[in-house]
Amino acid sequence: MKKITIALAGNANVGKSVIFNRLTGLHQHIGNWPGKTVERAEGTLFHSDYTIDIIDLPGIYSLSTFSMEELISRDYIAKEKPDVVINVVDATNLERNLYFTLQLLELGRPMIIALNQMDLLKKKGISINIKKLQNFLGVPVVPVIATQGKGIHDLVHEAVRLAKGEYEKPKIEYGKEVEKEIQMLTKSLNKIKLDYPQRFLAIKLLEGDEEIKKMIEEVDPNIIKIVEKHAKKIECFHGHDRSTVIASERYKIANEIAKDCVSLGPSRVKFSDKLDEITTHGVWGYFIMIFSVVTLFFIIFTFGNFFSDILVGSLMNVRSIFEQYFGTGIASKLAWGIVEGLIAGITIVLPYILPFYVILGLLEDSGYLSRIAFLMDRFMHKIGLHGKAFIPLILGYGCNVPACLGCRIMETKRERLIAIFVTTLIPCAAVTTVILGLVGKYVGLIWAFSLYVIDLIIVFILGRIAFKVLPGEPTELIMEMHDYRMPDLKTVTKQAWFRIKDFIYIAFPLIIACSFIIKVLDVTNLSESIENMMKPITVDWLGLPVFSGIALIAGISRKELTLITLATHGSTTNFAAILTPVQMIVFSLVMMLYIPCVATVAALVKEIGWKKAIFITVFEIVFAIFVGGIAFRLLTL
Amino acid sequence: MSEKSMKLIDLKQGQKGIIISVLGGRGVTQRLIDMGLTPGTEFKMLRKGRLCAVEISVRGSKLAIGCGVAAKILVKVKE
Repeated sequence: MKKITIALAGNANVGKSVIFNRLTGLHQHIGNWPGKTVERAEGTLFHSDYTIDIIDLPGIYSLSTFSMEELISRDYIAKEKPDVVINVVDATNLERNLYFTLQLLELGRPMIIALNQMDLLKKKGISINIKKLQNFLGVPVVPVIATQGKGIHDLVHEAVRLAKGEYEKPKIEYGKEVEKEIQMLTKSLNKIKLDYPQRFLAIKLLEGDEEIKKMIEEVDPNIIKIVEKHAKKIECFHGHDRSTVIASERYKIANEIAKDCVSLGPSRVKFSDKLDEITTHGVWGYFIMIFSVVTLFFIIFTFGNFFSDILVGSLMNVRSIFEQYFGTGIASKLAWGIVEGLIAGITIVLPYILPFYVILGLLEDSGYLSRIAFLMDRFMHKIGLHGKAFIPLILGYGCNVPACLGCRIMETKRERLIAIFVTTLIPCAAVTTVILGLVGKYVGLIWAFSLYVIDLIIVFILGRIAFKVLPGEPTELIMEMHDYRMPDLKTVTKQAWFRIKDFIYIAFPLIIACSFIIKVLDVTNLSESIENMMKPITVDWLGLPVFSGIALIAGISRKELTLITLATHGSTTNFAAILTPVQMIVFSLVMMLYIPCVATVAALVKEIGWKKAIFITVFEIVFAIFVGGIAFRLLTL
Repeated sequence: MSEKSMKLIDLKQGQKGIIISVLGGRGVTQRLIDMGLTPGTEFKMLRKGRLCAVEISVRGSKLAIGCGVAAKILVKVKE
């Protein structure tokens, strides 16, 4: 068995993950890059007598130091030296994609172009001369239709061929003046032995890349002076700053290649363009957005409720069987706590979170979520975020855990923090079941709906405060809006699965542990003394009954447990008998805000560290109690 | 410069323009030129209105740009 490593690289939304899925099937492992909160997807493929490791690099547009993703990608290729780099290129958007291709080539690894979405090319009346493209770039170009699995085999075949060493380094030259400086600088670097090819270093130095500059300074500080001389020359000649000059040159090459290889048919107004126009329209766009979001929630929670009832019914039958075997002693009760935790996890994942993420994934893959991000940009700016933050926010309505991890799409640490903070205030599926089961059922749907509106207002106000308090400049939205397309079901289900896996790995063990602890409190009658200890808060300040204390504690493990605990400690499921409407509203409000559940806290720790996680948690407890007390006083005026 | 330069955000919907330069911090500038907004590039204002962000088409694809950035891109109108 021989081993080969292949790296997949390319812009966002070019079908890179579809190709990754096609190549690796179920042999995948998703983790993080060491020490970074950037996802690392790895998979294995077995081909004749080769074991092929495939790394899916993040979707990026350049190899500058704009983002962590870009740094990781270029470091990986330069240092780990994969045998082959497969550059996935969107055939319908050749110019922009080639800009990245040119940079990848500079890293000097054997490379293949996977020219994807060839089917869309025909639809758009465009054709590409593949031979010509191959000649220009000097690397093999393989036409691919990833969604149909076409061309995947050829890719593997080519990769194996290249890995055997059948590869000639292509030579792509910049414009005359710039090329001259690059070559001279490359010569001055010939004694420098770093992981990166010298030509790549020379270009990056000319561009003014800070990371590379630091690296060179450590080895030979004199070189920086030489760089300065060359960079000044190209700035002088072109009249723009150095990074602009290099980027312009690169785009010029990309443009020339694209122009030479692509022939456009008669252009017609496409359906997707019309759809784009109406969904980003200043009036209709918002209508459609509200309609789709409301429909999404309506479908999820009616379907979820129905399915969840069936599921709970059948799973709870397990209890009698369980008691038949293990009796009703203390040990059995404690063990049941564990089983109950497991069941509870399942009854929230299957009926609510899974369908939510599948539908959301369909919207995301089709391109609609980026339109919503565009529409929401202005609103999100008020809380110091840009439109893209809308995506993790809406994920939060499913479960806060994957939503927190979803905040990684934000570019800076500061924005990630604000986004994570507001995300934890979003009522997740479990919170929604409680609100609907309590306020919705006994007080009225209008009141339940009002709670959501109040929550959004709170999100807005707290987000704005966080934005004002945290130092730093907000970054702005710069986002490619790819054309609408049919979502790829396989990619969507896989994505949904990975998001749910976050929940299962982080939340399930904690839910089960907490369920057990709560049973211990029950069995030992400790819960009563806890309730009494909480009296000043629950009874005096919030106006709630004594037994609500333990319900709020139970909610730390998972929010829907608050309702179940209320029922067991109030000894009835008819909540109207034990709570007044005002108490229901206050209880729901506090429950909605008071703490991200223990699983979310764990996700917070993972993403932003202990200190900030604890701060957010404590703040939200205090804040929820404060707001609950105010609400109680206002409602009983 | 013979033509009058203006901010990208001041272009009307449907108007075409040419990038003159990008002002602002290094990070944003780098990002914008990486996305293809290099000097001399043609683009078309696809969408603006009551929205803060604008949508332009450039180099064969569409970009959404926040209004803060859009105010820092100098362009001239292409007649």
